[in-house]
Amino acid sequence: MISIQNLSFSYGSKGVLKNITMELKGGNIYGLLGENGVGKTTLLTLLCGLKKPQTGTIDTDGRAPYDRQPGLLAEQFYLPDEVAPVRNRARQFGLETGRLWPKYEQAKFLSILREFEVDENQRMDKMSAGQLKKTWIAFALACNARHYFLDEPTNGLDIPSKSQFRKAITRYTAEDACIVISTHQVRDLEEIIDPIIILDKEDVLLNASLQQISEKLFFDYSNTLHANALYLEQTPAGAIQVYPNTTGGESKVNLEALFNAVHAHKDVVKALF
Amino acid sequence: MKNEIFSGQRFWTYFKYDLVQMWRNHVKAAVGIGLAGLIVYFVVVLFNLTFNGTWQGPGITGRFFTFFLASFALELYYTRIYGYLTDKRKGSAWLMMPASTVEKWVSMLIMACIVLPVLFFLASFLVDGVLCALDPTVGKSMVSVLAGGWQSFVSALTDVNDEYTLTLNVAPLGWGILLSTWANLLYFLLCGICFKRNKILGAFAIAFGLSILSSIFMSSFSLSLVEDMQADNIAMAEANINRIMVWANALSAVFAAALVGGIFWRLKTLKH
Repeated sequence: MISIQNLSFSYGSKGVLKNITMELKGGNIYGLLGENGVGKTTLLTLLCGLKKPQTGTIDTDGRAPYDRQPGLLAEQFYLPDEVAPVRNRARQFGLETGRLWPKYEQAKFLSILREFEVDENQRMDKMSAGQLKKTWIAFALACNARHYFLDEPTNGLDIPSKSQFRKAITRYTAEDACIVISTHQVRDLEEIIDPIIILDKEDVLLNASLQQISEKLFFDYSNTLHANALYLEQTPAGAIQVYPNTTGGESKVNLEALFNAVHAHKDVVKALF
Repeated sequence: MKNEIFSGQRFWTYFKYDLVQMWRNHVKAAVGIGLAGLIVYFVVVLFNLTFNGTWQGPGITGRFFTFFLASFALELYYTRIYGYLTDKRKGSAWLMMPASTVEKWVSMLIMACIVLPVLFFLASFLVDGVLCALDPTVGKSMVSVLAGGWQSFVSALTDVNDEYTLTLNVAPLGWGILLSTWANLLYFLLCGICFKRNKILGAFAIAFGLSILSSIFMSSFSLSLVEDMQADNIAMAEANINRIMVWANALSAVFAAALVGGIFWRLKTLKH
Protein backbone atom coordinates (compact mmCIF):
# COMPACT_ATOMS: atom_id res chain seq x y z
CA MET A 1 0.00 0.00 0.00
CA ILE A 2 1.12 3.53 -0.71
CA SER A 3 0.31 6.13 1.91
CA ILE A 4 0.66 9.81 1.10
CA GLN A 5 0.51 12.23 4.02
CA ASN A 6 0.38 16.03 3.68
CA LEU A 7 2.49 15.93 0.55
CA SER A 8 3.51 19.29 -0.90
CA PHE A 9 5.73 20.11 -3.83
CA SER A 10 6.49 23.27 -5.75
CA TYR A 11 8.78 24.41 -8.53
CA GLY A 12 10.29 27.56 -7.08
CA SER A 13 7.42 29.82 -6.14
CA LYS A 14 4.94 27.89 -8.27
CA GLY A 15 3.05 25.51 -6.03
CA VAL A 16 2.00 22.25 -7.65
CA LEU A 17 0.85 19.88 -4.93
CA LYS A 18 -0.31 21.11 -1.54
CA ASN A 19 -1.12 18.99 1.50
CA ILE A 20 -2.15 15.97 -0.50
CA THR A 21 -3.24 13.04 1.65
CA MET A 22 -4.47 9.77 0.17
CA GLU A 23 -3.94 6.04 0.15
CA LEU A 24 -3.34 3.89 -2.90
CA LYS A 25 -4.20 0.26 -2.31
CA GLY A 26 -3.04 -2.85 -4.10
CA GLY A 27 -5.40 -4.57 -6.53
CA ASN A 28 -6.47 -1.30 -8.16
CA ILE A 29 -5.72 0.53 -11.38
CA TYR A 30 -5.93 4.19 -10.44
CA GLY A 31 -6.72 6.69 -13.15
CA LEU A 32 -4.93 9.95 -12.43
CA LEU A 33 -6.71 12.73 -14.30
CA GLY A 34 -6.23 16.47 -14.38
CA GLU A 35 -5.67 19.43 -16.64
CA ASN A 36 -2.23 20.24 -18.03
CA GLY A 37 0.19 21.45 -15.38
CA VAL A 38 -1.73 20.36 -12.28
CA GLY A 39 1.03 17.98 -11.22
CA LYS A 40 0.12 14.51 -12.48
CA THR A 41 3.64 13.74 -13.68
CA THR A 42 5.09 15.41 -10.59
CA LEU A 43 2.98 13.16 -8.36
CA LEU A 44 4.07 10.05 -10.28
CA THR A 45 7.75 11.01 -10.06
CA LEU A 46 7.34 11.63 -6.33
CA LEU A 47 5.66 8.25 -5.90
CA CYS A 48 8.48 6.40 -7.63
CA GLY A 49 11.29 8.36 -5.93
CA LEU A 50 12.58 10.45 -8.79
CA LYS A 51 11.75 13.56 -6.77
CA LYS A 52 11.95 14.32 -3.08
CA PRO A 53 8.83 15.55 -1.25
CA GLN A 54 9.37 19.07 0.06
CA THR A 55 6.99 18.52 2.92
CA GLY A 56 4.95 15.50 3.94
CA THR A 57 5.74 11.86 3.41
CA ILE A 58 5.20 9.00 1.03
CA ASP A 59 5.29 5.51 2.43
CA THR A 60 5.38 2.57 0.03
CA ASP A 61 5.20 -0.74 1.89
CA GLY A 62 7.05 0.85 4.81
CA ARG A 63 9.74 2.57 2.73
CA ALA A 64 10.29 6.10 1.48
CA PRO A 65 10.57 6.01 -2.35
CA TYR A 66 13.17 8.79 -2.50
CA ASP A 67 15.61 6.60 -0.53
CA ARG A 68 15.67 4.50 -3.71
CA GLN A 69 16.34 1.32 -1.84
CA PRO A 70 16.90 -1.53 -4.29
CA GLY A 71 14.31 -3.68 -2.50
CA LEU A 72 11.62 -1.14 -3.38
CA LEU A 73 13.01 -0.34 -6.84
CA ALA A 74 12.73 -4.05 -7.67
CA GLU A 75 9.03 -3.91 -6.79
CA GLN A 76 8.11 -0.87 -8.84
CA PHE A 77 8.30 0.43 -12.38
CA TYR A 78 7.96 3.97 -13.63
CA LEU A 79 7.14 4.43 -17.29
CA PRO A 80 7.55 8.07 -18.38
CA ASP A 81 5.56 9.69 -21.15
CA GLU A 82 8.66 9.84 -23.33
CA VAL A 83 10.71 6.67 -23.08
CA ALA A 84 14.42 6.36 -23.76
CA PRO A 85 15.69 4.99 -27.06
CA VAL A 86 18.28 2.30 -26.42
CA ARG A 87 21.12 1.32 -28.75
CA ASN A 88 20.18 -2.33 -28.60
CA ARG A 89 17.81 -4.88 -30.05
CA ALA A 90 14.64 -5.35 -28.01
CA ARG A 91 15.37 -9.00 -27.21
CA GLN A 92 18.91 -8.26 -26.06
CA PHE A 93 17.77 -5.24 -24.09
CA GLY A 94 15.36 -7.49 -22.19
CA LEU A 95 18.08 -10.04 -21.48
CA GLU A 96 20.62 -7.50 -20.26
CA THR A 97 18.42 -5.07 -18.37
CA GLY A 98 15.84 -7.51 -17.07
CA ARG A 99 18.43 -9.25 -14.88
CA LEU A 100 18.29 -6.26 -12.55
CA TRP A 101 14.67 -7.00 -11.64
CA PRO A 102 14.59 -10.21 -9.61
CA LYS A 103 11.14 -11.28 -10.89
CA TYR A 104 11.74 -10.41 -14.54
CA GLU A 105 10.68 -13.02 -17.14
CA GLN A 106 12.24 -12.86 -20.60
CA ALA A 107 9.65 -15.28 -22.03
CA LYS A 108 6.87 -12.98 -20.85
CA PHE A 109 8.63 -9.98 -22.40
CA LEU A 110 8.91 -11.71 -25.77
CA SER A 111 5.33 -12.94 -25.56
CA ILE A 112 3.98 -9.42 -24.91
CA LEU A 113 6.17 -8.05 -27.71
CA ARG A 114 4.59 -10.55 -30.08
CA GLU A 115 1.12 -9.51 -28.92
CA PHE A 116 2.11 -5.90 -29.55
CA GLU A 117 3.44 -6.92 -32.97
CA VAL A 118 6.90 -5.53 -32.24
CA ASP A 119 9.89 -7.24 -33.83
CA GLU A 120 12.11 -8.47 -30.99
CA ASN A 121 15.18 -8.25 -33.23
CA GLN A 122 14.69 -4.61 -34.14
CA ARG A 123 17.01 -2.03 -32.63
CA MET A 124 15.15 0.15 -30.16
CA ASP A 125 16.76 3.38 -31.35
CA LYS A 126 15.45 2.64 -34.85
CA MET A 127 11.87 2.03 -33.73
CA SER A 128 8.96 4.41 -34.21
CA ALA A 129 7.74 6.22 -31.08
CA GLY A 130 4.79 3.84 -30.76
CA GLN A 131 6.91 0.70 -31.16
CA LEU A 132 9.42 2.00 -28.63
CA LYS A 133 6.65 2.74 -26.16
CA LYS A 134 5.20 -0.74 -26.62
CA THR A 135 8.63 -2.29 -26.07
CA TRP A 136 9.02 -0.43 -22.79
CA ILE A 137 5.47 -1.35 -21.73
CA ALA A 138 6.23 -5.01 -22.48
CA PHE A 139 9.45 -4.75 -20.49
CA ALA A 140 7.69 -3.08 -17.58
CA LEU A 141 5.06 -5.79 -17.42
CA ALA A 142 7.70 -8.53 -17.68
CA CYS A 143 9.40 -7.12 -14.57
CA ASN A 144 6.44 -8.39 -12.51
CA ALA A 145 6.50 -5.37 -10.23
CA ARG A 146 3.93 -4.65 -7.53
CA HIS A 147 3.70 -0.91 -8.16
CA TYR A 148 3.38 0.60 -11.60
CA PHE A 149 3.46 4.31 -12.31
CA LEU A 150 2.54 4.87 -15.93
CA ASP A 151 2.58 8.38 -17.37
CA GLU A 152 0.40 8.72 -20.46
CA PRO A 153 1.03 5.11 -21.53
CA THR A 154 -1.29 5.27 -24.55
CA ASN A 155 0.30 8.41 -26.01
CA GLY A 156 1.79 7.53 -29.37
CA LEU A 157 -0.01 4.19 -29.62
CA ASP A 158 -2.20 3.46 -32.63
CA ILE A 159 -5.81 2.28 -32.18
CA PRO A 160 -5.12 -1.49 -32.15
CA SER A 161 -2.21 -0.97 -29.78
CA LYS A 162 -4.41 0.86 -27.28
CA SER A 163 -6.67 -2.16 -27.15
CA GLN A 164 -3.64 -4.46 -26.82
CA PHE A 165 -2.38 -2.28 -23.98
CA ARG A 166 -5.66 -2.55 -22.08
CA LYS A 167 -5.62 -6.34 -22.44
CA ALA A 168 -1.97 -6.59 -21.43
CA ILE A 169 -2.30 -4.40 -18.35
CA THR A 170 -5.14 -6.51 -16.98
CA ARG A 171 -3.68 -9.86 -18.02
CA TYR A 172 -0.02 -9.45 -17.12
CA THR A 173 -0.09 -7.65 -13.79
CA ALA A 174 -0.53 -9.34 -10.42
CA GLU A 175 -3.93 -9.15 -8.77
CA ASP A 176 -2.50 -7.26 -5.81
CA ALA A 177 -0.54 -4.82 -7.98
CA CYS A 178 -1.10 -1.12 -7.43
CA ILE A 179 -1.15 0.63 -10.79
CA VAL A 180 -1.38 4.38 -11.20
CA ILE A 181 -2.02 5.62 -14.73
CA SER A 182 -1.84 9.30 -15.53
CA THR A 183 -3.74 10.13 -18.68
CA HIS A 184 -5.57 12.69 -20.74
CA GLN A 185 -6.91 9.96 -23.00
CA VAL A 186 -9.74 8.89 -20.70
CA ARG A 187 -11.61 7.12 -23.46
CA ASP A 188 -8.61 4.88 -24.09
CA LEU A 189 -8.57 3.65 -20.53
CA GLU A 190 -12.05 4.08 -19.08
CA GLU A 191 -12.66 0.34 -19.27
CA ILE A 192 -9.79 -0.47 -16.96
CA ILE A 193 -9.23 2.43 -14.55
CA ASP A 194 -10.95 2.35 -11.20
CA PRO A 195 -10.72 4.28 -8.82
CA ILE A 196 -10.47 7.75 -10.31
CA ILE A 197 -8.27 10.52 -8.91
CA ILE A 198 -8.84 14.01 -10.28
CA LEU A 199 -6.12 16.52 -9.47
CA ASP A 200 -6.57 20.26 -9.53
CA LYS A 201 -4.12 23.06 -8.84
CA GLU A 202 -2.64 22.15 -5.44
CA ASP A 203 -5.65 19.99 -4.63
CA VAL A 204 -7.29 16.59 -5.07
CA LEU A 205 -10.82 17.14 -6.32
CA LEU A 206 -11.87 13.53 -6.32
CA ASN A 207 -10.52 10.17 -5.20
CA ALA A 208 -13.25 7.59 -5.48
CA SER A 209 -14.07 4.24 -7.01
CA LEU A 210 -16.48 4.03 -9.93
CA GLN A 211 -19.03 2.46 -7.61
CA GLN A 212 -18.76 5.36 -5.16
CA ILE A 213 -19.04 7.81 -8.05
CA SER A 214 -22.16 6.15 -9.45
CA GLU A 215 -23.69 6.13 -5.97
CA LYS A 216 -23.20 9.88 -5.63
CA LEU A 217 -23.61 11.05 -9.21
CA PHE A 218 -26.07 10.04 -11.89
CA PHE A 219 -25.02 9.93 -15.52
CA ASP A 220 -28.14 10.51 -17.57
CA TYR A 221 -27.98 9.75 -21.28
CA SER A 222 -31.58 10.87 -21.99
CA ASN A 223 -32.54 14.07 -23.74
CA THR A 224 -34.67 15.32 -20.85
CA LEU A 225 -32.91 18.20 -19.17
CA HIS A 226 -32.48 17.78 -15.41
CA ALA A 227 -32.88 20.90 -13.26
CA ASN A 228 -29.85 20.10 -11.02
CA ALA A 229 -27.49 19.07 -13.80
CA LEU A 230 -23.89 19.82 -12.90
CA TYR A 231 -22.84 19.23 -16.47
CA LEU A 232 -24.64 18.88 -19.76
CA GLU A 233 -23.20 18.03 -23.12
CA GLN A 234 -24.98 17.54 -26.39
CA THR A 235 -23.39 14.90 -28.59
CA PRO A 236 -24.41 13.55 -32.00
CA ALA A 237 -25.58 10.41 -30.21
CA GLY A 238 -27.67 12.35 -27.70
CA ALA A 239 -27.06 14.21 -24.46
CA ILE A 240 -25.02 13.41 -21.36
CA GLN A 241 -25.98 14.98 -18.06
CA VAL A 242 -24.37 14.59 -14.69
CA TYR A 243 -26.31 15.41 -11.53
CA PRO A 244 -26.36 14.32 -7.88
CA ASN A 245 -27.80 10.84 -7.51
CA THR A 246 -30.67 11.42 -5.11
CA THR A 247 -32.73 8.39 -6.13
CA GLY A 248 -30.06 5.71 -5.78
CA GLY A 249 -30.36 4.80 -9.43
CA GLU A 250 -27.57 3.01 -11.28
CA SER A 251 -25.76 4.53 -14.24
CA LYS A 252 -22.60 4.00 -16.24
CA VAL A 253 -19.91 6.51 -15.36
CA ASN A 254 -18.71 8.58 -18.29
CA LEU A 255 -15.23 9.76 -17.41
CA GLU A 256 -15.15 12.78 -19.68
CA ALA A 257 -18.50 14.01 -18.36
CA LEU A 258 -17.35 13.28 -14.81
CA PHE A 259 -14.15 15.26 -15.33
CA ASN A 260 -16.00 18.23 -16.76
CA ALA A 261 -18.67 18.11 -14.05
CA VAL A 262 -16.04 18.00 -11.32
CA HIS A 263 -14.20 20.95 -12.81
CA ALA A 264 -17.36 22.99 -13.31
CA HIS A 265 -18.60 22.43 -9.74
CA LYS A 266 -15.55 21.74 -7.61
CA ASP A 267 -17.10 22.62 -4.27
CA VAL A 268 -20.32 20.71 -4.91
CA VAL A 269 -18.45 17.56 -5.91
CA LYS A 270 -15.98 17.82 -3.01
CA ALA A 271 -18.91 18.16 -0.61
CA LEU A 272 -20.56 15.10 -2.13
CA PHE A 273 -17.49 12.92 -1.60
CA MET B 1 16.03 -9.55 3.26
CA LYS B 2 19.07 -8.31 1.35
CA ASN B 3 21.22 -5.45 2.53
CA GLU B 4 19.78 -2.27 1.00
CA ILE B 5 23.15 -0.49 0.91
CA PHE B 6 25.45 -3.09 -0.59
CA SER B 7 24.85 -6.68 -1.63
CA GLY B 8 27.65 -8.55 -3.40
CA GLN B 9 25.24 -10.51 -5.59
CA ARG B 10 23.24 -7.45 -6.61
CA PHE B 11 26.41 -5.45 -7.23
CA TRP B 12 27.77 -8.18 -9.49
CA THR B 13 24.52 -8.24 -11.48
CA TYR B 14 24.60 -4.46 -11.86
CA PHE B 15 28.33 -4.38 -12.61
CA LYS B 16 27.90 -6.88 -15.45
CA TYR B 17 25.08 -4.72 -16.83
CA ASP B 18 27.23 -1.57 -16.55
CA LEU B 19 30.19 -3.30 -18.16
CA VAL B 20 28.09 -4.42 -21.12
CA GLN B 21 26.72 -0.90 -21.59
CA MET B 22 30.24 0.52 -21.32
CA TRP B 23 31.48 -1.98 -23.87
CA ARG B 24 28.65 -1.24 -26.28
CA ASN B 25 28.71 2.54 -25.99
CA HIS B 26 32.15 3.77 -24.93
CA VAL B 27 34.92 1.20 -25.22
CA LYS B 28 35.18 1.68 -28.97
CA ALA B 29 35.57 5.42 -28.47
CA ALA B 30 38.18 5.06 -25.71
CA VAL B 31 40.19 2.56 -27.76
CA GLY B 32 39.69 4.73 -30.84
CA ILE B 33 41.18 7.72 -29.02
CA GLY B 34 44.03 5.43 -27.96
CA LEU B 35 44.66 4.61 -31.60
CA ALA B 36 45.35 8.26 -32.42
CA GLY B 37 49.05 7.38 -32.67
CA LEU B 38 48.30 5.13 -35.63
CA ILE B 39 46.54 7.92 -37.51
CA VAL B 40 49.35 10.37 -36.77
CA TYR B 41 51.88 7.76 -37.92
CA PHE B 42 50.21 7.40 -41.32
CA VAL B 43 49.79 11.17 -41.71
CA VAL B 44 53.50 11.77 -40.96
CA VAL B 45 54.64 8.96 -43.27
CA LEU B 46 52.40 10.28 -46.05
CA PHE B 47 53.65 13.81 -45.46
CA ASN B 48 57.30 12.72 -45.63
CA LEU B 49 56.72 10.59 -48.69
CA THR B 50 55.00 13.47 -50.47
CA PHE B 51 57.36 16.29 -49.59
CA ASN B 52 60.68 14.59 -48.76
CA GLY B 53 60.36 11.44 -50.81
CA THR B 54 61.44 9.33 -47.84
CA TRP B 55 59.71 6.84 -45.60
CA GLN B 56 59.96 8.40 -42.17
CA GLY B 57 57.57 7.84 -39.24
CA PRO B 58 57.04 10.22 -36.31
CA GLY B 59 59.81 10.44 -33.72
CA ILE B 60 59.46 9.89 -30.01
CA THR B 61 58.63 13.54 -29.25
CA GLY B 62 55.81 13.59 -31.77
CA ARG B 63 54.43 10.31 -30.53
CA PHE B 64 54.51 11.45 -26.89
CA PHE B 65 52.84 14.69 -27.91
CA THR B 66 50.12 12.70 -29.69
CA PHE B 67 49.73 10.47 -26.64
CA PHE B 68 49.24 13.47 -24.33
CA LEU B 69 46.75 15.03 -26.72
CA ALA B 70 44.87 11.73 -26.87
CA SER B 71 44.88 11.54 -23.04
CA PHE B 72 43.37 15.00 -22.95
CA ALA B 73 40.74 13.98 -25.51
CA LEU B 74 39.89 10.98 -23.31
CA GLU B 75 39.46 13.30 -20.33
CA LEU B 76 37.04 15.46 -22.32
CA TYR B 77 35.22 12.32 -23.43
CA TYR B 78 34.61 11.48 -19.77
CA THR B 79 31.89 14.17 -19.68
CA ARG B 80 29.94 11.83 -21.97
CA ILE B 81 30.33 8.38 -20.47
CA TYR B 82 27.70 8.93 -17.78
CA GLY B 83 26.49 12.28 -19.10
CA TYR B 84 23.18 10.68 -20.05
CA LEU B 85 22.20 10.71 -16.38
CA THR B 86 21.16 14.34 -16.73
CA ASP B 87 18.84 13.39 -19.61
CA LYS B 88 15.30 13.04 -18.26
CA ARG B 89 14.44 9.86 -20.15
CA LYS B 90 17.70 7.96 -19.80
CA GLY B 91 18.51 9.33 -16.36
CA SER B 92 15.10 8.35 -14.98
CA ALA B 93 15.48 4.82 -16.31
CA TRP B 94 18.93 4.57 -14.71
CA LEU B 95 17.79 5.90 -11.35
CA MET B 96 14.93 3.38 -11.25
CA MET B 97 17.20 0.38 -11.78
CA PRO B 98 17.13 -1.89 -8.74
CA ALA B 99 20.63 -1.37 -7.38
CA SER B 100 21.66 0.84 -4.49
CA THR B 101 23.37 4.19 -5.03
CA VAL B 102 26.54 2.75 -3.46
CA GLU B 103 26.55 -0.16 -5.92
CA LYS B 104 26.00 2.10 -8.91
CA TRP B 105 28.68 4.48 -7.63
CA VAL B 106 31.30 1.75 -7.07
CA SER B 107 30.61 0.32 -10.51
CA MET B 108 30.93 3.79 -12.05
CA LEU B 109 34.30 4.34 -10.33
CA ILE B 110 35.62 0.97 -11.52
CA MET B 111 34.60 1.81 -15.09
CA ALA B 112 36.03 5.32 -14.96
CA CYS B 113 39.23 4.70 -13.01
CA ILE B 114 40.21 1.21 -14.19
CA VAL B 115 38.36 -0.23 -17.19
CA LEU B 116 38.47 2.68 -19.65
CA PRO B 117 41.94 4.03 -18.73
CA VAL B 118 43.49 0.55 -18.90
CA LEU B 119 41.95 -0.05 -22.33
CA PHE B 120 43.08 3.37 -23.51
CA PHE B 121 46.67 2.90 -22.31
CA LEU B 122 46.78 -0.64 -23.70
CA ALA B 123 45.58 0.56 -27.10
CA SER B 124 48.03 3.49 -27.12
CA PHE B 125 51.12 1.56 -26.08
CA LEU B 126 50.28 -1.56 -28.06
CA VAL B 127 49.89 0.37 -31.29
CA ASP B 128 53.09 2.29 -30.58
CA GLY B 129 54.95 -0.94 -29.81
CA VAL B 130 53.74 -2.63 -32.98
CA LEU B 131 54.65 0.41 -35.09
CA CYS B 132 58.13 0.50 -33.57
CA ALA B 133 58.59 -3.21 -34.19
CA LEU B 134 57.50 -2.94 -37.83
CA ASP B 135 59.07 0.39 -38.76
CA PRO B 136 62.66 1.05 -37.63
CA THR B 137 62.43 4.72 -38.71
CA VAL B 138 60.32 5.69 -35.67
CA GLY B 139 62.94 4.59 -33.13
CA LYS B 140 62.25 3.37 -29.61
CA SER B 141 58.75 2.66 -28.34
CA MET B 142 57.16 4.94 -25.74
CA VAL B 143 57.17 2.15 -23.16
CA SER B 144 60.89 1.49 -23.52
CA VAL B 145 61.66 5.23 -23.44
CA LEU B 146 59.50 5.63 -20.35
CA ALA B 147 61.33 2.79 -18.64
CA GLY B 148 64.73 4.09 -19.71
CA GLY B 149 63.70 7.67 -19.20
CA TRP B 150 62.64 6.98 -15.66
CA GLN B 151 66.08 5.68 -14.78
CA SER B 152 67.87 8.46 -16.61
CA PHE B 153 65.55 11.02 -15.03
CA VAL B 154 66.41 9.74 -11.56
CA SER B 155 70.13 9.42 -12.25
CA ALA B 156 70.22 12.91 -13.78
CA LEU B 157 68.78 14.37 -10.64
CA THR B 158 70.87 12.20 -8.37
CA ASP B 159 74.26 13.22 -9.83
CA VAL B 160 73.97 16.96 -9.27
CA ASN B 161 77.72 17.43 -9.15
CA ASP B 162 80.81 15.62 -8.01
CA GLU B 163 80.43 16.63 -4.42
CA TYR B 164 76.76 16.05 -3.67
CA THR B 165 74.23 13.33 -4.33
CA LEU B 166 70.55 14.23 -4.42
CA THR B 167 68.27 11.44 -3.27
CA LEU B 168 64.69 11.90 -4.43
CA ASN B 169 61.82 9.61 -3.55
CA VAL B 170 60.53 8.08 -6.77
CA ALA B 171 57.34 6.64 -5.27
CA PRO B 172 55.68 10.03 -4.62
CA LEU B 173 56.29 11.03 -8.21
CA GLY B 174 54.63 7.83 -9.49
CA TRP B 175 51.73 8.25 -7.12
CA GLY B 176 51.46 11.86 -8.17
CA ILE B 177 51.04 10.95 -11.84
CA LEU B 178 48.46 8.27 -10.97
CA LEU B 179 46.49 10.49 -8.60
CA SER B 180 46.44 13.48 -10.92
CA THR B 181 45.35 11.27 -13.84
CA TRP B 182 42.46 9.89 -11.78
CA ALA B 183 41.60 13.33 -10.48
CA ASN B 184 41.41 14.70 -14.03
CA LEU B 185 39.24 11.84 -15.25
CA LEU B 186 36.94 12.00 -12.22
CA TYR B 187 36.68 15.75 -12.57
CA PHE B 188 35.34 15.52 -16.11
CA LEU B 189 33.11 12.60 -15.11
CA LEU B 190 31.58 14.69 -12.31
CA CYS B 191 31.07 17.66 -14.62
CA GLY B 192 29.37 15.29 -17.08
CA ILE B 193 26.79 14.21 -14.52
CA CYS B 194 26.30 17.72 -13.11
CA PHE B 195 25.85 19.91 -16.18
CA LYS B 196 22.81 19.28 -18.34
CA ARG B 197 24.20 21.15 -21.33
CA ASN B 198 27.60 22.56 -22.31
CA LYS B 199 29.32 19.94 -20.19
CA ILE B 200 32.83 20.58 -21.50
CA LEU B 201 32.46 24.35 -21.34
CA GLY B 202 31.19 24.13 -17.76
CA ALA B 203 34.08 21.84 -16.85
CA PHE B 204 36.61 24.33 -18.21
CA ALA B 205 34.98 27.27 -16.44
CA ILE B 206 35.25 25.54 -13.06
CA ALA B 207 38.73 24.17 -13.83
CA PHE B 208 39.89 27.72 -14.49
CA GLY B 209 38.80 28.83 -11.02
CA LEU B 210 40.21 25.73 -9.34
CA SER B 211 43.57 26.02 -11.08
CA ILE B 212 43.93 29.60 -9.84
CA LEU B 213 43.24 28.50 -6.26
CA SER B 214 45.56 25.47 -6.37
CA SER B 215 48.38 27.42 -8.04
CA ILE B 216 48.13 30.15 -5.39
CA PHE B 217 48.41 27.51 -2.68
CA MET B 218 51.16 25.43 -4.25
CA SER B 219 53.26 28.34 -5.54
CA SER B 220 53.24 30.18 -2.20
CA PHE B 221 54.13 26.94 -0.45
CA SER B 222 56.89 26.09 -2.93
CA LEU B 223 58.28 29.62 -2.90
CA SER B 224 58.54 29.63 0.89
CA LEU B 225 60.57 26.41 0.69
CA VAL B 226 62.79 27.70 -2.13
CA GLU B 227 63.49 30.91 -0.23
CA ASP B 228 64.66 28.88 2.74
CA MET B 229 67.11 26.97 0.59
CA GLN B 230 70.73 27.94 0.40
CA ALA B 231 72.48 27.55 -2.91
CA ASP B 232 74.98 25.04 -1.68
CA ASN B 233 72.70 23.17 0.67
CA ILE B 234 71.77 20.12 -1.37
CA ALA B 235 70.40 18.28 1.64
CA MET B 236 67.87 21.04 2.20
CA ALA B 237 66.96 21.13 -1.52
CA GLU B 238 66.48 17.37 -1.46
CA ALA B 239 64.23 17.53 1.59
CA ASN B 240 62.24 20.44 0.23
CA ILE B 241 61.66 18.92 -3.22
CA ASN B 242 60.54 15.69 -1.59
CA ARG B 243 58.26 17.71 0.67
CA ILE B 244 56.79 19.60 -2.29
CA MET B 245 56.09 16.31 -4.05
CA VAL B 246 54.40 14.90 -0.97
CA TRP B 247 52.30 18.05 -0.57
CA ALA B 248 51.36 18.07 -4.25
CA ASN B 249 50.32 14.42 -3.94
CA ALA B 250 48.35 15.15 -0.81
CA LEU B 251 46.56 17.93 -2.68
CA SER B 252 45.83 15.58 -5.61
CA ALA B 253 44.62 12.89 -3.21
CA VAL B 254 42.32 15.32 -1.40
CA PHE B 255 41.03 16.59 -4.75
CA ALA B 256 40.45 13.04 -6.05
CA ALA B 257 38.73 12.04 -2.79
CA ALA B 258 36.53 15.15 -2.95
CA LEU B 259 35.61 14.25 -6.53
CA VAL B 260 34.78 10.67 -5.55
CA GLY B 261 32.60 12.04 -2.74
CA GLY B 262 31.07 14.61 -5.08
CA ILE B 263 30.13 11.92 -7.58
CA PHE B 264 28.40 9.91 -4.84
CA TRP B 265 26.56 12.99 -3.60
CA ARG B 266 25.42 13.84 -7.12
CA LEU B 267 24.10 10.30 -7.68
CA LYS B 268 22.37 10.31 -4.31
CA THR B 269 20.61 13.62 -4.91
CA LEU B 270 19.95 13.36 -8.64
CA LYS B 271 16.27 14.07 -9.40
CA HIS B 272 14.14 14.06 -12.51
